[in-house]
Amino acid sequence: MQLHELSVREIASGVRGRKFSALEVFEDCLGRSAACEGKVSALITTTADAGRQRARRIDERIARGEDPGPLAGVPVILKDNICTRGVRTTAGSRILGDWAPPYDATVWALLQDAGAVLLGKSNMDEFAMGNTCGTSAFGPTANPWDVARVPGGSSGGSAAAVAAGYVPFALGSDTGGSIRQPASYCGICGLKPTYGMVSRYGLIAYGSSLDQIGPFTRNVGDMALVMGLLARQDPKDSTSTCGTRGECFAELQDDLKGRRVALVRDFRDFTLDPGISEAMKKTIAALERAGAEMMEVSLPTVGRYAVACYYAIAASEAHTNLARFDGVRYGYTVNSSAGMKDMFQEVRSHGFGSEVKSRIIAGTCLTEPVRSEQYYVAATRVRTLIAREFAEAFENADCILQPVTPSLAPKIGEVDDDAMKGYESDLYTLPVNMAGLPGYSFRAGTDADSGLPVGLQLVGPRWSDGRLLSAGLALEKILGAPVIAGGGN
Amino acid sequence: MKLDSDEVRAIAMEGRLSLTDAELQGAVRYINNFLEMVDRFKELDLKDVEPFAFAESVECPLREDVVGVFRDRDEILAARPATGPFFSVPRIMEE
Amino acid sequence: MSDKAEKSKNLTFTPVIGIEIHIQLRTKSKIFCTCSADYTNDEPNSHICPVCMGLPGSLPVLNRAVVEQGMLAGLALNCSIVSPTLFFRKSYYYPDLPKGFQITQSDLPIAAGGWLDISDDAGNPKRVRINRLHLEEDVGKLHHSASDGRLEGAESSWVDYNRSGLPLAEIVSEPDISSAREAVEYVTTLRRRVRYSGASDVDLEKGMMRFDANVSMKCSDGRWGRKVEVKNMNSFHALERAIEFEIRRQTKLLEDGGEVLQETRHWNDAKEITRASRVKEFYRKFIVEPDLPPMVVSPEWVESVRETLPEMPEKKAERYVNLGLTPVDAAVLSDSLDVAEYFEACVAAGANPLRAGNWTRTEVLRVLGERRIGAKDLPVRPEALAKLIGLIDDGRLSTTLGKTIFEAMLQGLSFEDAMKKSGAVEGGVGADALAKVVRRVLEANADVVGEIRPDTRGKKIKFLQGLVMRETKGQARADEVVAAIEAALNSK
Repeated sequence: MQLHELSVREIASGVRGRKFSALEVFEDCLGRSAACEGKVSALITTTADAGRQRARRIDERIARGEDPGPLAGVPVILKDNICTRGVRTTAGSRILGDWAPPYDATVWALLQDAGAVLLGKSNMDEFAMGNTCGTSAFGPTANPWDVARVPGGSSGGSAAAVAAGYVPFALGSDTGGSIRQPASYCGICGLKPTYGMVSRYGLIAYGSSLDQIGPFTRNVGDMALVMGLLARQDPKDSTSTCGTRGECFAELQDDLKGRRVALVRDFRDFTLDPGISEAMKKTIAALERAGAEMMEVSLPTVGRYAVACYYAIAASEAHTNLARFDGVRYGYTVNSSAGMKDMFQEVRSHGFGSEVKSRIIAGTCLTEPVRSEQYYVAATRVRTLIAREFAEAFENADCILQPVTPSLAPKIGEVDDDAMKGYESDLYTLPVNMAGLPGYSFRAGTDADSGLPVGLQLVGPRWSDGRLLSAGLALEKILGAPVIAGGGN
Repeated sequence: MKLDSDEVRAIAMEGRLSLTDAELQGAVRYINNFLEMVDRFKELDLKDVEPFAFAESVECPLREDVVGVFRDRDEILAARPATGPFFSVPRIMEE
Repeated sequence: MSDKAEKSKNLTFTPVIGIEIHIQLRTKSKIFCTCSADYTNDEPNSHICPVCMGLPGSLPVLNRAVVEQGMLAGLALNCSIVSPTLFFRKSYYYPDLPKGFQITQSDLPIAAGGWLDISDDAGNPKRVRINRLHLEEDVGKLHHSASDGRLEGAESSWVDYNRSGLPLAEIVSEPDISSAREAVEYVTTLRRRVRYSGASDVDLEKGMMRFDANVSMKCSDGRWGRKVEVKNMNSFHALERAIEFEIRRQTKLLEDGGEVLQETRHWNDAKEITRASRVKEFYRKFIVEPDLPPMVVSPEWVESVRETLPEMPEKKAERYVNLGLTPVDAAVLSDSLDVAEYFEACVAAGANPLRAGNWTRTEVLRVLGERRIGAKDLPVRPEALAKLIGLIDDGRLSTTLGKTIFEAMLQGLSFEDAMKKSGAVEGGVGADALAKVVRRVLEANADVVGEIRPDTRGKKIKFLQGLVMRETKGQARADEVVAAIEAALNSK
């Protein structure tokens, strides 16, 4: 087995036990990424030199008898909306230009403390707005299982890189499915943690009340290991409220005896690709085999209003989050003698792509004083109903099993990016962010026709992340762990 | 409620965005789909529903009033061509 | 003249004024980051960080002291403290606003429903209601001159973000004010109380207090004119002049049958006029600030803050009048807390309140003004002044010598050293010593003594008394001196 095929745990223990060096791991991963990048294009920036230097330093520390930490020498890729000091961070947009943040996101600081080594920054939909990686200013990323298809989005680059074996884990961000959907398309594990579990400090915001950073891995054990390091209350993020709840990742239980797993009654009649229906059946059987009890819950408000509510909230928050990009302090700018307003307009009109512009317009529109009560404020009230409905459902059920998307990864260029049609396909992912819940996306099987991976997700009440991963472990033992994709080779 | 292209252009200006004709067409379609979707809220009686602010009853944490200096100030300034210690913008006439 | 204008001639117009005041709260660090809040004289952009520069990915963390100072100011303005409250994002585009929105409490303020008592133009008591006090962040500062300092022909404006993120309280009055004079009394009273509370230094020269005024005119026929917002006043004088200007402008417009436009106008301090803002007033859009959960202050916290609030100036002045001071002196002494406390310490140390008031109002305030220091930094401590006043009161020191000793203490001498240096002896002149001096004076002025007749006795004794007082450097009590002279004359 080659080094890049190893898990997070295997690499860290190998490096710490001097079975191989951090530099060897890094070079092998770099080689793997170089072999695939031509077709996959998962990365916006590759940090080969800085990574090598850091890997060497880790090897030196080990030679001196020090312990660089539980991620000693483990290469990682970060979604390009996570700030990395001195390393260009673009959020998939032209508007940030060559901006290199003067500070590290808290998650990156935590990973560095644990000994991880940065291999690169991954491609993403511009400002995380999209679900194909197609809105990136740096061009599309391909799905490593079939390079004619999309990897999903917005964290498509991170998902594709982990699936293709560039690195054993990567970080993404999930505002309305941006971790779970690409994890599903790429056949790996992706966790959108409970809102407040992971610090958002240093994450370039899209919808601040929805955004959450989470990992991609190729097995559930690695997921728990990485989450155990990231789940820390951060004094720099006032919405980081996890306290000591990170302990839930310390030990997973694969016994599901007595656990009540629910299907959503209101989603029953929706059309699914046959491969996904098949995976649902197999997974239900596996859950029952592991001791779980199947049941049904009803989420009528979620079914009818969650998508509308999500887009209203996300756009309203996004247009304020993106107001800072005016060319004055950092990023792309123009020399305008025409005046302030023209300069702002020129910078923003050239700097942002059309999807981002549309969402800024939507957010501006919904929050205008004349419309705010009817749309923005109404949406915040609907959100209360949605959160309440989930809370009631979880009085009876321990978690919900549902698809991530109704269909498999579409072909690049064949995505109907005409707004709302695509939006209905977000129904399985968006509501989870509305209520601040954890959602775990895992590989449940393979589509017989296309050979594409099929992902499903488990959704639980707030702070049940550890229990979701426990169920994930039980399923992984029965269904098998993800394998590395061809990556176009 | 439907918006015409002039209204959408005006809203775009509020967001300091000028649109090409193609972008404008796309934005008009997008925003009208969007509004049609959020118009669903009218079906609900929301009068007594509190706006959702945060996922659970968290209180805003408070930090102590202690001065800390950001050491990499120069890196913030370096993001712009040198104009002394200032950031420069096109001349604004004082109101 | 049009009919409309003709008809307007017989109407009268009453100004209706509301005032919005921004004050900078006194903290060490900024409201949402740890950058220093004290930037006076520092290099532009020297107190900046990812948070107050609005760098992508940065998040605000609220400073406890801002909440506390906000409560303190609110309580000083008779407001109730509200909890929980929220922060909002107020969106507009301007280069001094790094995030493209300002974080502000706006309509869900920490303090609401206050009031201040002033007097109206006829001298009758009047209450101005305060709608709210809310917390928010300040914006950066724009400089419009060219890099070489020239104003004309500059192609750029310059932004300094040192001020970005300083903690502000915005205090919004109800439209209860009817004249420029009332407005000035309102802001003066407010400033005094806020300074008393310690919530802000409200130093106008340092821009720690800024004013906007909403001015409209109520017509005697019951109609209301539209509201005009006048911005950009940084001194009491500017506030007064701007309101006066606006009242004149609107009255004239209405009298001529015209209409007042609802608009924002800027006060031009140099030209002393208001001018319609060239920039159309921005759309102000609000959404909940998702990065800051609701702010909760416990009743216990509110009470502990209330306990730190000192007695307010009006109460003090009232007390001083009861001590026998004139209302004017009482107002002067209670104008700032450190002076009031100095005066009170002086009285507490045994000084006669009238004398202590006099000394504080004249000597102490003069020195504070000259040296530009607070009463706490005055070398003459109130206890020493009380002693000095006591000696003068007892007639053991002349006022002149008292002032000399006061001056010596100002130079840093202790009370004892100052006494010695001025040749004074604590405890004054003893009876024996006095008798000796009297004898010497009588001998040296035998001619005067010889001229004493019943009708000139009083005058001559007074003359001799002056000589004795001079000899004893004013340390002998006048009545004792007279008694000693009488005794010496009688024993002849």
